[in-house]
Amino acid sequence: MLHYYDPSTQSYEPGKTGLNPDFDYGTPASVSETLVSMSIDGRAITVPEGTSVLRAAALAGINIPKLCASDNLEAFGSCRLCAVEIEGRRGYPASCTTPVAEGMAVTTQTGKLAKLRRNIMELYISDHPLDCLTCPANGNCELQDVAGVVGLREVRYGFDGENHLDAETDDSNPYFSFDPSKCIVCSRCVRACEEVQGTFALTIEGRGFDSVVSAGQGEAFMDSECVSCGACVQACPTSTLMEKSVIDAGQPEHSVVTTCAYCGVGCSFKAEMKGDQLVRMVPYKGGEANQGHSCVKGRFAFGYATHDDRIKEPMIRDSINDPWKVVSWEEALAFSADKIKGIQARYGRESVGGITSSRCTNEETYLVQKLVRAAFGNNNTDTCARVCHSPTGYGLKTTLGESAGTQTFESVMKADTIVVIGANPTDAHPVFGSLMRRRLRQGAKLIVIDPRRIDILETPHGGEGIHLPLRPGTNVAMVNALAHVIVTEGLEDQEFISHRCDSDAYDTWRRFIAEERHSPEAMEAITGVPADKVREAARLYAQAGNGAIYYGLGVTEHSQGSTMVMGIANLAMATGNIGREGGGVNPLRGQNNVQGSCDMGSFPHELPGYQHVNDAAVRARFQAVWGVPLDDEPGLRIPNMFDAAIAGTFKGLYVQGEDIAQSDPNTQHVEAALKSLDCLIVQDIFLNETAKFAHVLLPGSTFLEKNGTFTNAERRINRVRKVMEPIAGMEDWQVTMALSNALGYPMAYSHPSEIMDEIAQLTPTFTGVSYDKLEQLGSIQWPCNDASPEGTPTMHTVDFPIGKGQFAVTEYLATEERASRKFPLLLTTGRILSQYNVGAQTRRTDNSEWHAEDVLEIHPSDAELRGIHDGDWLGISSRVGQTVLRAQISDRMMPGVVYTTFHHPGSGANVITTDNSDWATNCPEYKVTAVQVEVVTQPSEWQRNFQQFDQRQQALLEPAMQGTDQADAQPVR
Amino acid sequence: MSDQQLTNLIKMLEQIIANNLHHGDDDRVAAVAADHLHKFWARSMKQQILACVQEHPERLSAVARLTLAKLDPEAATPAEV
Ligand code: SF4
Ligand code: SF4
Ligand code: SF4
Ligand code: FES
Repeated sequence: MLHYYDPSTQSYEPGKTGLNPDFDYGTPASVSETLVSMSIDGRAITVPEGTSVLRAAALAGINIPKLCASDNLEAFGSCRLCAVEIEGRRGYPASCTTPVAEGMAVTTQTGKLAKLRRNIMELYISDHPLDCLTCPANGNCELQDVAGVVGLREVRYGFDGENHLDAETDDSNPYFSFDPSKCIVCSRCVRACEEVQGTFALTIEGRGFDSVVSAGQGEAFMDSECVSCGACVQACPTSTLMEKSVIDAGQPEHSVVTTCAYCGVGCSFKAEMKGDQLVRMVPYKGGEANQGHSCVKGRFAFGYATHDDRIKEPMIRDSINDPWKVVSWEEALAFSADKIKGIQARYGRESVGGITSSRCTNEETYLVQKLVRAAFGNNNTDTCARVCHSPTGYGLKTTLGESAGTQTFESVMKADTIVVIGANPTDAHPVFGSLMRRRLRQGAKLIVIDPRRIDILETPHGGEGIHLPLRPGTNVAMVNALAHVIVTEGLEDQEFISHRCDSDAYDTWRRFIAEERHSPEAMEAITGVPADKVREAARLYAQAGNGAIYYGLGVTEHSQGSTMVMGIANLAMATGNIGREGGGVNPLRGQNNVQGSCDMGSFPHELPGYQHVNDAAVRARFQAVWGVPLDDEPGLRIPNMFDAAIAGTFKGLYVQGEDIAQSDPNTQHVEAALKSLDCLIVQDIFLNETAKFAHVLLPGSTFLEKNGTFTNAERRINRVRKVMEPIAGMEDWQVTMALSNALGYPMAYSHPSEIMDEIAQLTPTFTGVSYDKLEQLGSIQWPCNDASPEGTPTMHTVDFPIGKGQFAVTEYLATEERASRKFPLLLTTGRILSQYNVGAQTRRTDNSEWHAEDVLEIHPSDAELRGIHDGDWLGISSRVGQTVLRAQISDRMMPGVVYTTFHHPGSGANVITTDNSDWATNCPEYKVTAVQVEVVTQPSEWQRNFQQFDQRQQALLEPAMQGTDQADAQPVR
Repeated sequence: MSDQQLTNLIKMLEQIIANNLHHGDDDRVAAVAADHLHKFWARSMKQQILACVQEHPERLSAVARLTLAKLDPEAATPAEV
């Protein structure tokens, strides 16, 4: 027997099962536990029941020619190239659609089969241009390969008959082209769009000879439903669907597996290279988070890495009104260190701090907080996770004992009811959104709790979901109403509660939640959602079998964000949906390394691994390794830093990879704070909004230019691998290290793997993590330690890190940000698919073709009341500021609620968001701002000032940038 | 210390208290809030609010004052420069 197959460990990961992620096994794996033995060309093989003959042959090392099959798509059986002979059966069955059977004897090569396959290829080729030498797929074309394999030598029909050779190319998509003259109508693209992506944008129109692939109703790709995920391009066996970057540059010659630096899904990609030029990013089938799928950002939007706007050399200036001066790394670092030391000498040890980034690697983040704690000598370190998922940290740690999601992404495939709260997976976590859609097509039920009707509710063939369109700011009222139904209708999982949860906390919570004032009927006036719908949703979740909750910033970015997170944990514990696949509490992290930046000790009160700074034993361990005494009091959080800056006690800030001027609320307050600093050091790849207020600009490196790790929303640590040299000679971790050395606190790492070793030494949940193990396993989900040496896919299976689960009382308190006569509408914010966060990267790619500006979505009735038409300029005023955006009439929200995104700095979405924040963590209340909207004719005063300031800062940068084009900076250590 | 800063700290403290009233009587609520400040507030923030309660007790609610009475003054000792 050649291969023995253990279905429970079946995976594409090399090392685990011997499967090669770069090889196409023809049809998907079967997960059956029943095994079947058979023979192919005399070779014996045992495979799970349900496996196709084509796949079994591939596993036995026998490659049957194929064209319409691929192992990420259900078999279709249209090309017939995979025909085989089976003992005792008549004819030539297609091996891709024929399942194996016990004792089956298959022959894959006979004279008849060879002739049959040649005839098929002859037909294909008679309607296919013979321009192989100049075709962009040359050297990487399955049609070419199969023609070679079957020994095609002549095309008897000639090329004069009716054909499609003159069909016109559709170039509308900025990233790939569609040349129908090369199409063999195998429908792999159509099936990829349906099965892998779940968009159903493509169809085969017409019949027989006339059949053609079509995006929508004969529309161009850009005008169709297509979301440019690239699944069809990857599936296409010819050059019909082809990346324009490959058409331009030619086929790549080597590749490196790395991790997408956009969202918290953390997709693995093969960066396909020509020398140091990135030709294309191809989703990697061996990546467990994405299993070979991608979205438009990770797949195509990498052009920013080589954009002209990149900062290529260190620069300094004394005041923000001075032009930038290009200097050497040594000078920039000495200048920075002098400033920081001078400030501390004058204003005290606590007058400086640092901000780490959720976009940077774990190792970089670890070093920045170490620099703050050890070299600055205080705990004034924070991360942009402050403004997104800090309530997740607080809420989950309080209830479940660990600040992290409980599941793998794959777990959703076992969920029976999926609850999505304040998240928009198809836009913000697209690859996971596709997986969720796949599960919905299989029949799982959907509940969406969101003021806006999001796209997951419109999943083709996904059934009808329940939408609870609550008023912004009433999450806790809603979660209490759901829990009330579960408790009062006897839908609790008593067994789970009595074994796994603290009984006193549970009793207290139960008494609280059973009070009539939490009933859906009582809460209806607050949430605006009919009580019967809430009851229906609660029953569906509690009686589901497996109920899984996925949530996003619509949960955390509220004045009761932490309370809501605890309310979600209560729901999961009350129904016993914790500790097994298919359930769980799953925060969807916005940026690539939100989980990691929190894990790495970025928060001012916690050392790496969520270990509190006032725990003397913890500090002692860190002090022993770091060699300096550590402050035992928490430091300032980002908003406290701003307040202290304005008050004149906080004077120096080091910001790595974060754009606080654009992403934090109440922009004018943030700008005032940044202007109050004596020294702002910004390390970034572009002159971002924050850098316009900086005195030192240190060039950052993109994820393509460095080594490290990211941790995704499933706690999965993935490797980031360098594919090109950093533009200014230093990777980000090297810059932090050099700054620390300049400050007199020595750091000497020669590779990020050494930083990870130190992290493992000091962080109990990481003790088993190393680069060697990551190479071996591909990725690791923490906790990874002696108790679980290969990591932990599902958390809390036996007990909680705090022993028993803690129910928390979640009293609903209305936010102070209320609609009034002056500000009658509630503004809420979100993201869209093609742009990423503040947009610094995606705006510098062709993704802008999908979203050139932020707009204000407003309900038709609110628009009519104000005489607003689609496309009008709207002045939006809140209690703190005013901005102007274009109107888009939309009935996705209820009347009274307006919506926008924050991907463009000039939009000023955060000029109107207020200083209100979560009571426990100060996470800003981005999701609720009372506003008034009116038609205007010109930009707001802030926007006019913004434009002027932007022009001035660009002018101060320009001479320096011109001088750096030929830069040849040398790294310093 | 600016008044804006102080206003924000008072707002934060009162918000913490408001979200923990379910813990029972004032004493218990104040203990929970004091623990929160102890765990999450920077030294300088504790100092400022303690100074405020000395100078302007009227700006704080009774539970807030009780909270600050429970706050370990050690934690709010100025750091040596
Ligand atoms: S790019 Fe994605 S969404 Fe667009 S047609 Fe292809 S598979 Fe469908
Ligand atoms: S475009 Fe490519 S994948 Fe789609 S049917 Fe044509 S050849 Fe097949
Ligand atoms: S942005 Fe997210 S979903 Fe898209 S490719 Fe990157 S990690 Fe995957
Ligand atoms: S590969 Fe089996 S019919 Fe096409």
